[in-house]
Amino acid sequence: MRSSSTTAAAPGPGSGVAFLYLLLPSYWSSRNRARRRERGDSLRLALFGSVGLAVMGALFGGSFWVTLQLDQCAELGDFLLRLGLSWLFLTLLSFLAFSGIVTDLSTFFLSDDLRLLLAAPIDKARLFYSRFLRTLGQSSWMVVVFLCPVLTGVGVARCAPATFYLTAGLTVLPFAVIPVALGSGITLALVNLFPARRARDILMLMSLLFAASIVLLLRYIQPERLLRVESLPDVTAFFTTLQSPITPLLPSFWAGETLFASLQGGYDWLHGGALWTTALGLTVLLRAANDRWYFSGFSKAQEARKTSFTRLAVLDRLARLLPVSTVPRTLLVKDLRVFLRDVTQWSQLLLLCALVLVYLYNFRVLDLDRIPYMRGVVRNIYAFLNLGLAGLVMSTVCVRFVFPAVSAEGAAFWIIRTAPIKLRDFLWSKFWTAVFPVFLLTEILTVAGNELLGIDPFLKVVTAGAIAFMTVALVGLAAGLGARYPRFDADNATQVSGSYGGVMFMIVAVFYVLVTIALIGWPSSVYLMSTVRQVSLSAGQPLAMGACFLTGMTLSIATGWVGMRSGVRALNDMGR
Amino acid sequence: MIVIQNLVKRYGAFTAVDGVSLETKSGEIHGFLGPNGAGKTTAIRMVAGLLQPTAGSIEVNGHDLAAEPEAAKRSLGFIPDRPFIYEKLTAGEFLRFHAGLYGIDGDGVDARVAEMLGLFELTPWKEELIEAFSHGMKQRLVMCAAFLHRPQAVLVDEPMVGLDPRGAKLIKQVFRTMADRGVAILMSTHTLEVAQEMCDRISIIVKGRIIAHGTVDELRQMAASTDDSGALGPDDTHLTSVFLKLTGGSGLQEIDEVV
Repeated sequence: MRSSSTTAAAPGPGSGVAFLYLLLPSYWSSRNRARRRERGDSLRLALFGSVGLAVMGALFGGSFWVTLQLDQCAELGDFLLRLGLSWLFLTLLSFLAFSGIVTDLSTFFLSDDLRLLLAAPIDKARLFYSRFLRTLGQSSWMVVVFLCPVLTGVGVARCAPATFYLTAGLTVLPFAVIPVALGSGITLALVNLFPARRARDILMLMSLLFAASIVLLLRYIQPERLLRVESLPDVTAFFTTLQSPITPLLPSFWAGETLFASLQGGYDWLHGGALWTTALGLTVLLRAANDRWYFSGFSKAQEARKTSFTRLAVLDRLARLLPVSTVPRTLLVKDLRVFLRDVTQWSQLLLLCALVLVYLYNFRVLDLDRIPYMRGVVRNIYAFLNLGLAGLVMSTVCVRFVFPAVSAEGAAFWIIRTAPIKLRDFLWSKFWTAVFPVFLLTEILTVAGNELLGIDPFLKVVTAGAIAFMTVALVGLAAGLGARYPRFDADNATQVSGSYGGVMFMIVAVFYVLVTIALIGWPSSVYLMSTVRQVSLSAGQPLAMGACFLTGMTLSIATGWVGMRSGVRALNDMGR
Repeated sequence: MIVIQNLVKRYGAFTAVDGVSLETKSGEIHGFLGPNGAGKTTAIRMVAGLLQPTAGSIEVNGHDLAAEPEAAKRSLGFIPDRPFIYEKLTAGEFLRFHAGLYGIDGDGVDARVAEMLGLFELTPWKEELIEAFSHGMKQRLVMCAAFLHRPQAVLVDEPMVGLDPRGAKLIKQVFRTMADRGVAILMSTHTLEVAQEMCDRISIIVKGRIIAHGTVDELRQMAASTDDSGALGPDDTHLTSVFLKLTGGSGLQEIDEVV
């Protein structure tokens, strides 16, 4: 027998940053993904790159402009900038905490590689630090990417010294650690408290909490107060009311103060120190808590042979009432059942509902008559902004719920492909499943918004009709492109929505919404003007108006149909 | 009955399946053997309608798969090597869904579902979510689905993976019974004992081509004829040594060196 030289020689706990070794597979996977050349890579890179650069440029420009404006208001400007930084970080704080909870659940408890790692003789601390670093990176990269242009814009506008940018880096790091560590702590507690494998239920709970916090935060800010003309001179007092006794205790306040001090060329050691000590303290506490409760939590997450679920027998009974044949009815019931039983899917509807409520509430509280510009025709034109927003909401709903519909079949798609059904029928069943809920949601949004605005009855009919056509277009486009660019290997629907096809859909959808609004906006404005000025339309105008409406309708039906056709073709071409 | 003629599948310059022809008659269990990467799964996936052949034809129970895909699939049952199914459905719901896909509706469905669950010993799990099932249970559930619509031909890719001895014995009995009732079964497997025990005829595929075809006895004689000595060795009663001889090379390495 030949002697082996490959004895186990893993770095021990004393070997400095040995935990980084456990991140190597993630690094290698990313590197291999980057090296792999696939069709459309250049287009994808150009598309994502230009969209990313445009967004970053807009963020930079926006923060630069706002800071310049504030700079002209002397002391009030400084005060508002400090407050703005503090509020910016407060918003990011809640996002990071939520993101930390969700990511932690995946990295610490649900990842497939955990079984391999836990079966290996790895020190607890190494596992904790590697996983925590991964959680931190995954949950905060978006915040960092967002903050880079924003803070640079602020720095450039205020001609900040180079130390400002260094301080920004040294502030953002501990600022991200604090909420992510807190989120991880909450996940650890919840995983231990739940009796069985209910990890995904935790996500539902978190979604509810997050939705509620968004609603509360928005109501707390009361943005409509800014639009009251008589309150404008008292804007300082208004912003002061936003401060609460607990604000100085929040890391967002510390981050804002530290950055503001460094903008002035100094350094706020108190708040900077508070950030770092809290971040390090929380990390140590979290590690201790992990030492004590991680394994029991992980073990519980593997348990439960039987999970509780809703039978949803009513779906079968309701589906039988539909005048459709067996195959589409079967597909519909299956899709609804799978959707309603997957907490990660339907819990996002709660978020959506919260946002819709806030959206409508804003219309209710906007006191348009007090603002001189919002009278008469302009009020009606505002209805088109409402329609545009409804179109964007529809696009977002479609990219999140309709676009991933084909990908949601996942590895089980073989069942559909080997069944004696036409893939065209399969995709159309996805279309019909989605079209009614999307239509209802956006129609309610538009009709209710228009009622609250009190717009002209003609426009109410036009926008309500436009929503019906937009639904056909966007649902068809989303289902079709979802079939054309499926991601059967994706872990969740969000990953599918964020893929190349998802971004492509959003670009086309936004373009379509803008064109549609232009097509129905012009004839509507002609009609409104003639009503306001009490002049009759010229001979050719009704014809041109009709042509515009007809083009809008044709464009909508064509968009939906072309999308679906392209999807069906792609499905039929699978396996070529 | 499954009839495959001159089946070819190319991926760019690589030919995964190269002119495969075989026939699985009614009531026959046809074994499809070959080393890893030989093209078995590619061929099986083409017959299941998951991959489009580059050339050649596939006929299932008299229906051309390319011309009449729905009719061909309606009379075919497919059991893939990895049982991916909808985790958020119960076993009963999955089978009812499967029945719906094959256009089976009405009062008889529940009885048929119960019958299949009973046959594959899954009745106690009828109302449980599939996500709680073990690999072997999922495999048996997929088999329930494959036989649910009373197909005249069944396509099986690696049937014994993940099954315990009791499950494996059950599956062998079910396959044999189904074949005795006239169902044509085309089965790809690595488990040569299973092939030897169950298959009426065997086709061996290497590098995309069928290199041998016949009953176990016929294959044994073929292996003997390829041997320099021309005689059967003492181990050649087993399909394993016949398979290794026909596919070229022992496939074994110097274990001592590795260990």
